[in-house]
Amino acid sequence: MKYQYGTVTKALVGELQAIVGKPNLMIDLERIENYSHDETSKEEYAHTPDLVLTPTSALQIAAIMKLATRERIPVTPRGAGSGLSGGAIPLFGGIVLSVEKMNKVLEIDEANLTVTAEAGIVTNELNEQLKSRGLFFAGYPMSLETCFLGGNIAENAGGGKAVKYGVTGRYILGMEVVTPQGDIVELGGKVTKDVSGYDLKQLYIGSEGTLGIITKATIKLLGVPKVASNLLVPFASAQEAIAVVPLIMKQGIIPTSIEFMDRSSIELTCSYLNESLPLEGVGAMLLIEIDGTDEQTVERELIQVGDLCSEQGAMEVYIAEDATTRERIWSVRRNIAEAIKVYSPIQSLEDVVVPIASIPLVLPRLEQLKAKYQVSIPCYGHAGDGNLHATIVKDPQMSLDDWKDLEPKLLSELYAFITGELGGKISGEHGIGLKRKGYLKAVTPPAEYQLFKALKAAFDPLYIMNPGKILD
Amino acid sequence: MAEVWTLSECSFHGLKDVSYELLARGRALADELGVLLGTVVLGHRIQGEDLQSLIEHGCDVVYVADDQSLANFTCESYANVLVPLIQEKGPQVMIAAATTTGRTLMPYVAVKVHAGLTADCTELAIEKETKNLLQTRPAIGGNIMATIKSPDHRPQMSTIRPRSTKKPLPDAKRTGTVVRIASSPTWKNEQVQVLGLRSLEGQSASIEEADIVVSGGKGLKKRDNFSLIEDLAKAFDGEVGASRDAVDRGWAAYPHQVGLSGKTISPRLYVAVGISGAIQHLAGIKTAKCIVAINHDEHANILNLADFALVGDLFAILPEIQKRLQERSRV
Amino acid sequence: MHIIVPIKQVPQTSDVQMDRQTGTMIRSSSASILNPLDLYAISAALELKDRYQARVSVITMGPANAVKVLKEAIAMGCDDAVHLTDRAFGGSDTWATSYILSLAVKKLGIPDLILAGERATDGDTAQVGPALASWLDLPAVTYVSKIETVDGDTLIAERLIEEGYQRVKTSLPALLTVVKEISSVRLPTLSGKKRAMASSIAVWDAQAIQADSRYIGLKGSPTKVVKIDVPKVSRNCILTKVEDDVSLKKGVDQLMAFLEEKDLLPKGGAHHG
Repeated sequence: MKYQYGTVTKALVGELQAIVGKPNLMIDLERIENYSHDETSKEEYAHTPDLVLTPTSALQIAAIMKLATRERIPVTPRGAGSGLSGGAIPLFGGIVLSVEKMNKVLEIDEANLTVTAEAGIVTNELNEQLKSRGLFFAGYPMSLETCFLGGNIAENAGGGKAVKYGVTGRYILGMEVVTPQGDIVELGGKVTKDVSGYDLKQLYIGSEGTLGIITKATIKLLGVPKVASNLLVPFASAQEAIAVVPLIMKQGIIPTSIEFMDRSSIELTCSYLNESLPLEGVGAMLLIEIDGTDEQTVERELIQVGDLCSEQGAMEVYIAEDATTRERIWSVRRNIAEAIKVYSPIQSLEDVVVPIASIPLVLPRLEQLKAKYQVSIPCYGHAGDGNLHATIVKDPQMSLDDWKDLEPKLLSELYAFITGELGGKISGEHGIGLKRKGYLKAVTPPAEYQLFKALKAAFDPLYIMNPGKILD
Repeated sequence: MAEVWTLSECSFHGLKDVSYELLARGRALADELGVLLGTVVLGHRIQGEDLQSLIEHGCDVVYVADDQSLANFTCESYANVLVPLIQEKGPQVMIAAATTTGRTLMPYVAVKVHAGLTADCTELAIEKETKNLLQTRPAIGGNIMATIKSPDHRPQMSTIRPRSTKKPLPDAKRTGTVVRIASSPTWKNEQVQVLGLRSLEGQSASIEEADIVVSGGKGLKKRDNFSLIEDLAKAFDGEVGASRDAVDRGWAAYPHQVGLSGKTISPRLYVAVGISGAIQHLAGIKTAKCIVAINHDEHANILNLADFALVGDLFAILPEIQKRLQERSRV
Repeated sequence: MHIIVPIKQVPQTSDVQMDRQTGTMIRSSSASILNPLDLYAISAALELKDRYQARVSVITMGPANAVKVLKEAIAMGCDDAVHLTDRAFGGSDTWATSYILSLAVKKLGIPDLILAGERATDGDTAQVGPALASWLDLPAVTYVSKIETVDGDTLIAERLIEEGYQRVKTSLPALLTVVKEISSVRLPTLSGKKRAMASSIAVWDAQAIQADSRYIGLKGSPTKVVKIDVPKVSRNCILTKVEDDVSLKKGVDQLMAFLEEKDLLPKGGAHHG
């Protein structure tokens, strides 16, 4: 059987402790409980590991993987635990391997415009250290204050700036990986071109920890744009707002972000933050960011986009150039997920993605689903990437059983529509993890799915590397 | 020899504590300069025992302006007492508390008497060679201490952060003079009238004057949980503070806000719960005597400033502290 | 009704560098923003504009790029702006600054109302508002949290003071400094931004306002910065981790002992139960 594992014996704990040292091994239930879940609902998905290791080097991780291979113990790699698809949950117990103590910047190479850092560094911290040199890592997950670089790569994080800068994978030039067998492998490097054999690095990006453990990465850096400004544009209906998105993209201006927020997302967040955005008659808002090297260009582009929105029926066009105002409106956008969670912790935060021309078609279908299943689905997200966070929320009054009955039906219907008629995908940036693996199988053509399985078996024949994620 | 002066503030219940703190400051300066320490008291129906008390706490000359028109602070009336008095007596130093009254009146007066004024000082000293007043204040969010003087203008004026000095001990044997200033029609303020006072609901929000302040921040997650802070403040016999996040979210009212865009406070004990410690917040508490932080994040900024920190789940920690404090109060 | 709002450009973050020689800030080292507390004064003025059809003028003193904060204010809905800029203004303390602003207000004509933010987040003195009122001999009503009514030439407001909310009536013209409770902040609009780009902002130097050179700049400032220190953080934190019931008990024990030793615990018995 695929998922048959050895037990974590006292002797094995002793061997593991000899590798990482006593302070880096946790076994008491209270402490390891924190490692039993990510940002998905604890009630639905949590699973407690046998023990948690916080190694401090790739060598230690290699030694751990050798033992895990010998004893056939499942190992679940973990970053900050801010994932949204259950990727860091140790479904079969065993070892959770947290890279939290590997959090150093190893080299900033200004001549080559690269930085090399360990996987456990907080993404924001990395950018803080680069700031004084006028450089930045253009990956921008919305959880940047907490998430780790390693998790960003493993999930190929997208986030709020992908319209212009693309997703995390675009900036990863090289990485160090420990394989399930315990070998340390260097992939890529500081080169910008590379067709020397299969591109294994790309394979690891977005692999959700199922092929190995990313321990460090070399990242391509960009110069920090000197100016950035925002527009906040309310529309009477979500449909009107979303219909503007492809038009903006056609203008030849590439905004940094085009974020969409429907009325219920904004309302929940404004009440959570005690913020007072003008909401009368508003059906949805777009939050658009434009950055660049000089003020005049950014200003001109901002006005051009703003004018287009007005022509397309925007109720008003607010402009935020001052840092205080920019922070104020971004804070609304950043807090939506948290606000919805405070309203109802049990929910399904989706991140379906469609070709941008199809975005306007998503919302009417969400309306139908809302009506059919009698649930609220606040919707927001990275409209400029065609990536929407429709959040199916369990009403506080609904019973958990009813929810468990409803959720898969609704999701199946949504995913079939997204991947079928619209040519989209079921996850743009949160990943498949635990939560969507059944649906992935349902929407993936058999031949492609077979390749997925063959790939996993080739890298991890014992199924010890984050088992039960992406595929069964 | 030109005197050193303080401004004593009255409330409905008599002199405010900060008036005595200023005497401690003023006494030290007057002794250093070898001059008399004066204080100016403005109000209505000021009690004789309060004036005596000012003398017992270190003052040599009490200048009293007692008039119905001075019952409430209005800037113009008070300035109309103070400006001529300063011009007549020519004190070399004039200090007031950095309260809403002091911070309104002093700049208004400083313009009229062409004096330099330094806001919200935490230290005062006399420069040996020149006998000038050296005024030190936190600047740029408390990241920097700036020392300022006004060499060519008199009086040298400053406002002093409340609670940055201890109230001096009284000495019943001390003597001094009380000088009553004759009322003048210019004291009556035709322009501004005080109509009334609405007390703050629940807690008195005077966190600047509190000995103990228990503050809550974003870590409390939602409004309902903020009652944990209120309960703990009560158990500590202190006041409720809040970070900007908590106030912006409506968990606490603005008068409770601690930090750069709220209040700067110096309590004996500051308990920061679920507050990560943005620079703007830290600026507001740098002069607290003792800081206790309760936070889940061991890398939170607040820990750089704390004297004692409990790192863990505040929802487990707070009830435990609450329990202990209640056990004590039952003893 | 005419309202003037004096505003200030301040450095964005607290990581500001100081010139140790002059004791003044090196402004170029940090991005600049409109003083956050001025946003409330502007918004309060705009609310009055909606209610009473006022004209709102903003003024600022600062270097060339401070014109940005004036444009920001116009984009929010203010009508016109004056930029006071002159090398000779540099290094002005609150006394000199309020003098310069008072001359500009006089040149504009004394308005019905001056609304100022409580204080700026850089200097943090809260002195310029009352000092400006003093130069102009206007009533100074500080820490205003609410403007109830404006009726002819009287205004009723609430002030947030230590004892609570004080209700006051003042005749106009008057100067009010406001706290953030006064209003929710308006967002600038694109049409406002275009108006700001098209509007010609008056630029006045020392000569334009006939400033007395003895009263302005570093030289005209009564206060002098003599020394800048970076205070050392001398606190040594006792850090206890709480991870389970046992460490919770232990941690709280330690805390209680720590507070006991410093005499910071409430005295037992008579107090709140």
